[in-house]
Amino acid sequence: MLTVPSQTTFLAAVREVTKKMAEGAGFKSPTPDQLALAVDEATTNAIEHAYGGASDKQVVLQFEDRGTDFRVEVIDTGAMMDPRSVPRVDLPRYVSERRKGGLGVHLMENIMDQVTFRRTARRNVCLLVKRKDGAK
Amino acid sequence: MNGLTVETRQLDDVTLIYPQGFINAHTVRVFEAEIQKAIEQNRFKVVVNCSGLSYIASAGLGAIMGVIDEIRRQGGDLRLAGLNDTVRNIFEILGFHHLYRIFPTELDALRSFGEPGKAGA
Repeated sequence: MLTVPSQTTFLAAVREVTKKMAEGAGFKSPTPDQLALAVDEATTNAIEHAYGGASDKQVVLQFEDRGTDFRVEVIDTGAMMDPRSVPRVDLPRYVSERRKGGLGVHLMENIMDQVTFRRTARRNVCLLVKRKDGAK
Repeated sequence: MNGLTVETRQLDDVTLIYPQGFINAHTVRVFEAEIQKAIEQNRFKVVVNCSGLSYIASAGLGAIMGVIDEIRRQGGDLRLAGLNDTVRNIFEILGFHHLYRIFPTELDALRSFGEPGKAGA
């Protein structure tokens, strides 16, 4: 488990820890870098959206190697988030509308085999799952 | 950890941007500011040399997405060069390689702005 302050300066540390955990779980390049990015994005969501940029909160990351898959839970106690309400990214439309956000969830979903969000006991829990059989 | 420095160089009508480090939600403003500076100076031919970039998160991709339409409407383009495997992989995951012209080297990207009829392609 890793607990970091809700400050984007810690994203680099989140990335490094995730990459090491993924390598330890047996993933080969480029998967550890991709997993690190997905967890970076989930943590960024927690800091910038759930906590609205407040820097005095915490984000908890729980890593679990289940043998068949690698799981990371990114947990915050901020405002309820439902990233599933983010519109699907349509790149040409995205360019013409000069949008800048919403790519994080799109990235997570493209990298991971499973991305789920749940609200439990006043916490947002983003579960990221990557299978080891190379499903994606 | 600083994370990112960005240097800029002008070569004729092309602005070369050199991000060194990584671009994520913490460092993106430094990168964004350099692109905005070029736009404010009416310099719409931009090459981002990514050879010093270790990785880019969605914040950085969003920074590029946020300006590309204006740059192209002004007859210019933002082109990328020297991507390492990690950065290239992220571009491919999102399909960005279909939206942006990506070159192996800075020289290739610079030359592309000189191609007849392709200055703003």
